[in-house]
Amino acid sequence: MFTIKKLQMGLIMLTLAACTKPTENIKIVVDTDVIKYTALINVTDGENGNPAPANATITLSGAAAQDIYELSGNKEIKLSSGIVTIGLRPTIAPTADQPINVNVEINAPGYNKEARQVIFKAENKQQVVNIQLTKIGSTTPPIVTPPPPVYNNVALTFTGRCPNRTDLEIRPSVYVYFKKSGSNAAFQYLGYMDKGKISTNLLEQNGTYEFQIVYGAETYRVTQKIDQTNYNLTIDMPAACNF
Amino acid sequence: MYLARYLLILFLFLISRNLNAQINSSAPSLLNQKSVQLNVGTQGIGAEFAYGILPELSLRGGFNFIPFKANDVFKVSGFNSTSNLSADFYNVHELADYVPIKKATWFRLVGGFGYFFKAKGDLRIIPSDDYKYGDLVLTDDQIGYVDLNVNWKGIAPYLGVAFAHTFPQNRFNVNFDLGTYYLSKPKADITGTGLLEGNSSQTPQFQSNIKDYRSLPIVQVNFSYKL
Repeated sequence: MFTIKKLQMGLIMLTLAACTKPTENIKIVVDTDVIKYTALINVTDGENGNPAPANATITLSGAAAQDIYELSGNKEIKLSSGIVTIGLRPTIAPTADQPINVNVEINAPGYNKEARQVIFKAENKQQVVNIQLTKIGSTTPPIVTPPPPVYNNVALTFTGRCPNRTDLEIRPSVYVYFKKSGSNAAFQYLGYMDKGKISTNLLEQNGTYEFQIVYGAETYRVTQKIDQTNYNLTIDMPAACNF
Repeated sequence: MYLARYLLILFLFLISRNLNAQINSSAPSLLNQKSVQLNVGTQGIGAEFAYGILPELSLRGGFNFIPFKANDVFKVSGFNSTSNLSADFYNVHELADYVPIKKATWFRLVGGFGYFFKAKGDLRIIPSDDYKYGDLVLTDDQIGYVDLNVNWKGIAPYLGVAFAHTFPQNRFNVNFDLGTYYLSKPKADITGTGLLEGNSSQTPQFQSNIKDYRSLPIVQVNFSYKL
């Protein structure tokens, strides 16, 4: 009987060994690259390079305007920190023969109206359109921001966090801006982050930087000191958590 | 419903009578006895050939397989989805039955090995709602799906006990196995498509969660015919 008891105990122990739930701590990872052809519109005050005033508005017109959505899939297009990313409805795409055009008009009280044509081309899925506003009556030429200095490559991996959905994780595809932490300078364009990943040579070792993304008419920022060549950064993105 | 109940009662009666008869009988030597048996249980259905090599020891070799499919057995909280689960376990095995107590020949210790040439579980999770991305309604292809795959292929030791004689004292008997295979360390991975493509990053966590799932409990009924 002693042998039987020992066997029973052995069998129970073997079965109980598998007690962790298979899906424990596993998150659902969702990409945001629904809209494939995008254009970042960056509106600044031409006098100082700061973001466009908060009451600046953007209006789209042209035949393709009905097919334009904000990066988060919303039809409403609004600037946040002077920035908005617009893109084509995912069911349409430009061809080599037929690019898709849309007219963008920026209005802000006290500033001259600015208009641009944004052209979505088949060979160019991402583009940045810089628009500088000039004050009405001002004769000061718009400032020219020098290109940022170049350093060694640094790889950044961003993960979007959902504050109210711990079971969700976002892999953002979005344009990234940056500036040195504590600096009064305006944010500068860093690059396009594809599925959470971006590699850049614009970050200095031992420098501390603020990174900024605009998504769903919200501005999100995260700060990181750079003293390695690879970083995993987590950034709150509640606007991307309505999946 | 009544028919099923009557059949179950009849089945249990036959088994209990068979077991009782075998328990009460004296123990014959296992040496040179032969039988074939069909089985059904948690490792599916299969067949075995048994041969007595010593008075108290016999060997049996055979195969089992269980193809299993089920829908919607798995839910992800906060995420409306359907799921398709499939499990396939195919093995060949060689087991030794040892009668440790001469006065209780109906009881056997069983040990051996199985080779699982197929031992995998696949779960596909498919979002079931019309998911919206802002004001855009996404198609099924755009959303995609997530596959969770686990593979235990390889050699697995078996340990268990068995009740009732391996070899029928007349022509036929029913006997039982209770035990477990200790499967090889599973290889787990997650893949995704569409907007869920990034879920492959969850593979290390899934592998860690599943690493202790190595026990395949066996509860099995054998229908044995003496040759």
